[in-house]
Amino acid sequence: MVFPLPLIRILMMDGILSHEAGRRILAMGNEAVARGAMEAGMGYFATYPGTPASEIGDTLVAIQDHVPNLYAEYSTNEHVALHGAIGASFSGIRAMAAMKHVGMNVAAEPLHFLGLTGVLGGLVMVIGSDPGATCSTTEQDDRWYSLHTHAPILEPSDIQEAKDYTKEGFELSERFNVPVILNLPSRLAHNAGDLILGDMPAERKATGHFVKNPVRYFNLFNSVVENHRRLLESIDRLREYASSSPLNRILPGSGDWGLITSSVNYGYLLEALDLLGLYDLPILKIGLSYPVAEKLLEDFLRPLRGAIIVEDLDGFLEFQIKKAAYDAGLSLPIKGKDLFPRYGELNVDLISETLAREFGLEGRLEGLSIAARAKPIIAKLPPRTGAFCAGCPHRATIYAMTKATRRQEVYGGDIGCLTLSGLPPHDASDWVTCMNCGLATSQGVSKMISDQRLITIVGDSTFFHSGVPALVNAVQQDADVLLIFLDNKWIAMTGHQPSPTTNLKVDGQNVPGVNIRELLRVLGVKYVRTIDPFNVRAMMDGILAALEAPGFKVIIAERECSLQADRRRRRMKSEEEVYYDIDPERCQRCGECYRDFGCPAIKSRMEGGEEIFYIEEATCTVCGACKAVCPNSAITRTEVRSRTKVSELAEVAG
Amino acid sequence: MKTYDIVICGFGGQGVITIGNLLKLAAMKEGISVSGAERRGGAQREGGVTSHVRYRVWEEGDTFDERRMTRSGMIPSGKADMLIAFEPLEGVRHCNFLHPGSRVVLNTEPSPPTLVRMQKYTYPPLDDLLSTLKEFTSLVFPFNINQLSRDFFQDLLHISVISLGLAVGLGEIPVSKERFLEVLQERYPDFEKNQRGFELGLQLARSAGN
Repeated sequence: MVFPLPLIRILMMDGILSHEAGRRILAMGNEAVARGAMEAGMGYFATYPGTPASEIGDTLVAIQDHVPNLYAEYSTNEHVALHGAIGASFSGIRAMAAMKHVGMNVAAEPLHFLGLTGVLGGLVMVIGSDPGATCSTTEQDDRWYSLHTHAPILEPSDIQEAKDYTKEGFELSERFNVPVILNLPSRLAHNAGDLILGDMPAERKATGHFVKNPVRYFNLFNSVVENHRRLLESIDRLREYASSSPLNRILPGSGDWGLITSSVNYGYLLEALDLLGLYDLPILKIGLSYPVAEKLLEDFLRPLRGAIIVEDLDGFLEFQIKKAAYDAGLSLPIKGKDLFPRYGELNVDLISETLAREFGLEGRLEGLSIAARAKPIIAKLPPRTGAFCAGCPHRATIYAMTKATRRQEVYGGDIGCLTLSGLPPHDASDWVTCMNCGLATSQGVSKMISDQRLITIVGDSTFFHSGVPALVNAVQQDADVLLIFLDNKWIAMTGHQPSPTTNLKVDGQNVPGVNIRELLRVLGVKYVRTIDPFNVRAMMDGILAALEAPGFKVIIAERECSLQADRRRRRMKSEEEVYYDIDPERCQRCGECYRDFGCPAIKSRMEGGEEIFYIEEATCTVCGACKAVCPNSAITRTEVRSRTKVSELAEVAG
Repeated sequence: MKTYDIVICGFGGQGVITIGNLLKLAAMKEGISVSGAERRGGAQREGGVTSHVRYRVWEEGDTFDERRMTRSGMIPSGKADMLIAFEPLEGVRHCNFLHPGSRVVLNTEPSPPTLVRMQKYTYPPLDDLLSTLKEFTSLVFPFNINQLSRDFFQDLLHISVISLGLAVGLGEIPVSKERFLEVLQERYPDFEKNQRGFELGLQLARSAGN
């Protein structure tokens, strides 16, 4: 498909702003949440982008100029985002903060106080959870947070509920004076399908008013204990309400075993039962998974011979349900994590297989025999690991780093597109955990080793997220570490949201961006060099020189993300055309460009029994880095002005 | 209610998600209910991408039965009616979704993953990949779609729309070709080229189907 339309045009066409209640549109889970927030009259939105939740922010930021009295921002991190939403709530405006699951760890601190202060405008926190780690560096059951923050959790099961529960979240938040968490797993965040729109508010509250409330908002000593008591009272009231709330519902059945589930597993479970031809088992669908509806549970469980809980990860529902059953004096068997794994994600295959085993119906599932046949075939295939895009400046930097140092150093990895430095062919991240794990951990390593040297990397957005304290610490402690700051000007990995260093938009408009060099100087970094990653030789020399210098030093590898640069180039329609070729006469087939550098635009084909490397014009972004990589000077650059493309000639002729 | 499930696979930058959206938007114009999750990682161009497209086609006299008519975002094993694979290795990687009546539109041009480039794995011969797929369904339709895109458009941006034409021509997708053209016209720039790509796929499907 030729160049996609700008996001705002697509969203407008999709009717995300439509006032036509009852209209059916195509929306992904994330867009449904955005729409739900709009229908609820939300006035303040803040996020730090993170897959799978990124498109909530992308949608709301894109439309804010078209919606009166909607404020939406990309914040520097999730902690800041949630604080901003709290401020809006205290001013009487409905507010939302969205983030991925690990972002919740960052926002956990303000969340722990939010129960004490309560809210004025409804506050919904959306968490893009990720069972199966489809797009994350960790797998965690985010719902446990509610056992110590007491924030209620909504778990929508499909796209429609993603919207409707969002709206309901604001109502519950105000009614019970607590923040509400909407848990959106990646499989729902990125499920795109039918969404039926609801009413939009006649008008969105224009401005709020900060109502002073020191009894709730200023917590110290005795007032903490008093507000803690108030919070628990609110949750007790909510627990009562949960048994009559439509958020939890029973699908009745005559069977004597019952099933309990929430979130996307509701859809998987219904499909699994359909495959098994089991239509008579009663099902309790939980939409409010903290606090669980104790009375409803008791009513559901009492007539049963046993129950099975179908949920992802740790068994958060099971923990609460077993306690509730015990308190109610019930002693029926309740199964859950003894049947289903506590890691990875559930799916229809896994649920149907497990239930077939439990109910002795193994023969009914032909899909599973196909899956069993496919499994060894798939296991033998070469895996497809992610790789830097063609023309990515990070590839050039990481290549220069590993070549210059001959893989002898300790390499700290970090979060972002540059996490790919840990994958083949680079294999150059000795650890990767959370944001800014690179420098902060390197500092500790550097103090404990004497015969190894340390290089650690970070990207611009990740650095501003939480890296400033790590950097200041490294400066103060004079950590013997080389930090390579890969400044590509965008939050590229999550879809090119602006980063603090963005200084030129895709349409060519200049915007003020943070000058990292100046910032580092002010923070006391003595050794700073800026090098263009596409100048591979200069980068290699620069890295070797920096490693010789004592103490803490920084190289800024400054070059814009190739995808964004390419988008701007296409828009600007430059008359000058450049292309690169591999001269087959000079090429020694050494594989340096194809294997070690590994740019996807460099391809291979067999010709006369010999492997030939060539550059595919359709993929090449003409960065020129490969020219510097080739030890045989076989890669050539050609510049043409107003070159008439072969395609245009063909069209004229045709 | 009838259902029709489609799995689309390839790697980042090929248009897997775009085609998934097109299939859904066109179906919605026919009154079909749609859903389906995408597996997407970051914005990078080379990692594997999968899109599930699930149709529920309503029939006269249907009353909604939640237990029999709910479809989640993910297609179970053995339930895809159509697999559109933008790369042969990726096609085989999704063979668990096939059943004996599934149709497969397969782009035959290999794009070796990094570990193959590094000579840590061997890329299986194309014939082996094809015969593996044929163990699951006899209805495998191979085309070098990259070459078609290069020949007709001098780029690789049109493999997605050509594949869509092939799938519509070869499958039993319950959406008329006009709906796809409407969506292409309404929502994508450069309609004339996309239409040509789509029609090219349809035309090739006709000759392959006979």
